[in-house]
Amino acid sequence: MWKKVFDWLDERLGLNDVYKNLLDRPEPKGNWWNTLGSASLFLFILQGATGIFLTVYYTPSPDHAYDSVQYIMEGVSFGWLIRGIHHWGASLMVLIVFIHMLRVFVTASYKYPREMTWLIGIGLLLTTIGMGFTGYLLPWNQRAYWATTVGTQIAGSVPFMGEFILKALRGGPDLSALTLQRFFAAHIWLIPAALAGLMGVHLYLIIRHGESHFPSKED
Amino acid sequence: MNDETKKKINERYERELNRGERFWPDSIFKDLVVSLGIFIFLILLATFIGVAPEPKADPADTSYLPRPEWYFLFLFKFLALYGQIPVIGKIEWLATVVIPGVGIAILTLLPLLDKSPYRHYSRRIFALTVMGTVVLDIILLTIMASLPVAPNAAELAASTTLQAIGGLLIPFGVLALLVAIYLFRRNMYYQSTRWNLPIWITVIGSLAMVAMTVDVSARASFYPQPGEAEVATTLVDQIFAGQDLYSIHCVECHGDDGKVEKIEGVEGLEGKVISPINGHDVLYTLNDAALAEVIAYGRPDAGMNPFGKAYNPEGLSKSDIDHIVTFMRYMWDDRFEIPAEALKPLFPPLAEGEVPSYDVHIAPIVKRYCVSCHRAGKENNNYLMTSYEEILTTGDNKDHNLIPGDENGYLLQVIQGHAIPDPKDPSKEMIRTMPPNRALKPNVIDVFVRWIMNGMPRTAEDAAKLFVAPTTEPVTTPTP
Repeated sequence: MWKKVFDWLDERLGLNDVYKNLLDRPEPKGNWWNTLGSASLFLFILQGATGIFLTVYYTPSPDHAYDSVQYIMEGVSFGWLIRGIHHWGASLMVLIVFIHMLRVFVTASYKYPREMTWLIGIGLLLTTIGMGFTGYLLPWNQRAYWATTVGTQIAGSVPFMGEFILKALRGGPDLSALTLQRFFAAHIWLIPAALAGLMGVHLYLIIRHGESHFPSKED
Repeated sequence: MNDETKKKINERYERELNRGERFWPDSIFKDLVVSLGIFIFLILLATFIGVAPEPKADPADTSYLPRPEWYFLFLFKFLALYGQIPVIGKIEWLATVVIPGVGIAILTLLPLLDKSPYRHYSRRIFALTVMGTVVLDIILLTIMASLPVAPNAAELAASTTLQAIGGLLIPFGVLALLVAIYLFRRNMYYQSTRWNLPIWITVIGSLAMVAMTVDVSARASFYPQPGEAEVATTLVDQIFAGQDLYSIHCVECHGDDGKVEKIEGVEGLEGKVISPINGHDVLYTLNDAALAEVIAYGRPDAGMNPFGKAYNPEGLSKSDIDHIVTFMRYMWDDRFEIPAEALKPLFPPLAEGEVPSYDVHIAPIVKRYCVSCHRAGKENNNYLMTSYEEILTTGDNKDHNLIPGDENGYLLQVIQGHAIPDPKDPSKEMIRTMPPNRALKPNVIDVFVRWIMNGMPRTAEDAAKLFVAPTTEPVTTPTP
């Protein structure tokens, strides 16, 4: 019976081919350092899932942002857990993506034929940091507000274009409701979309070229 | 890279694949173990450490020291140290744009810059020493940025100099040397690893950087630690916080029940007619945001002073004002039901013979009834009551205010309704009865009497030692 169901699905979805091409691939002898990429992917999914739960209660306006986060922490059942995971997951994701980059650097895995994988990877590192930067403002507390004030000021010190960048980031000369709205949109739509797109290409390239082997004296 | 090298690399990879493993189940097993470990780790962090509460954003509070998220701290420190450099330190965009920009550009274009086909570390000494120095510097700058700030100018200068040497000068020197050797004496990188000069430069430079950081951290361990700001998160805590703030800032004019309609005994506002703030007129017509705005910006036409930080750097923060509004709502607005816990008494009731302590009994009473006037900047004969030391040692009459074991100390006299006459002119009062507009409840006065008569213990333990259990008459059972 199960075989019949599987065969029917396989005929239409090509499950066997998926298994052969995606899962049953040969790989060089593995190494625990090689798990950092998949750990980053896992954290991205976890951040996405907890983030979606948080948007159910979060309100991106200066009048309500702080109170809505308070409510998530105190009023919503297991809200503290969801926010706690999202909060610590963000830090851990930046850390793990960075160590992943270092691992690739040390084993020189960015060399032929994986140059593009590295390039996309740097894009992923920068977008991850962008997620951290935009997400930091959202609780609208003192730390968030002043860190973002200084952070956008630094971005505004670019010669010639500084003024424009500063106003584009803040939605005006000062931090305001517009800034929060902008950062929220960037944090939940813009950057995650970019991140997911880059990730798709990154994963495709990894499957295309296979994981690099740990270099020995021969290499 | 020519086709022959490419072919060699591909053949080499084929060989590795042949003696390798399968993605499913070998590699994915490791991935799943690590992901599961991360998931459990995150749940533990969320449960046992949680997210530190922070007060609400207050754009008017310019005294707040901004701190970025920890993974930006190294950049923050780098900018701060860079700003100390004479002349170029003033060109801000060099450090904020050019240096990080060049760093990111090199990182991005790495596969195009590093064209050598070799992957083993022994043939990549240049890349690894440079990256190693940069990463070590990032870690050390992060550590330096998380240390407390030096308490005085001399120490600050010493600490900043050490940080600049360890976090900026040495790494810059090491990197400059490594690049110079790479440009002019490249074969040094290909010598045996034991006699390899670039490695020695990196190791010695790293040790010096670490030593500087250890020194800076050791110095910082003697600095005063910044106090963690207490943030009321639960409703009950917020009501208590609001009540304490109300008793300090609002009671003088509005009274402790918000009923006052005519201000008495307040300099500058004497006789001003105001509306009571505990009734429907205020609580039903203003929502929380409007109430918070009245407190922050005042009502100049109605005599209400502004309390927000926009007018007064020492003023109330946004969170403080929100807590006062919460307190008013739950205390006086009949549409809100106050949680039973928030109605707990100010201090635990005293048993027969029990001695109260400052920490448990006196501090909350003083905060509620006295600190409103007895704090810096108010007219109070210089008698401040915000801490144990102040209560015992400040004031124009400090030798007479509290006398251990003596009922005739000024404090006990005035709270029991006996004003202290001026010694020069007995018809005048030197100290009025306190608190000025209402009498304390007898149980509160009892706490003060017991406390002072028993030598004013500070902690609950000290007070417990003075506890004398009331001697009860031995019960004589009548013999049949």
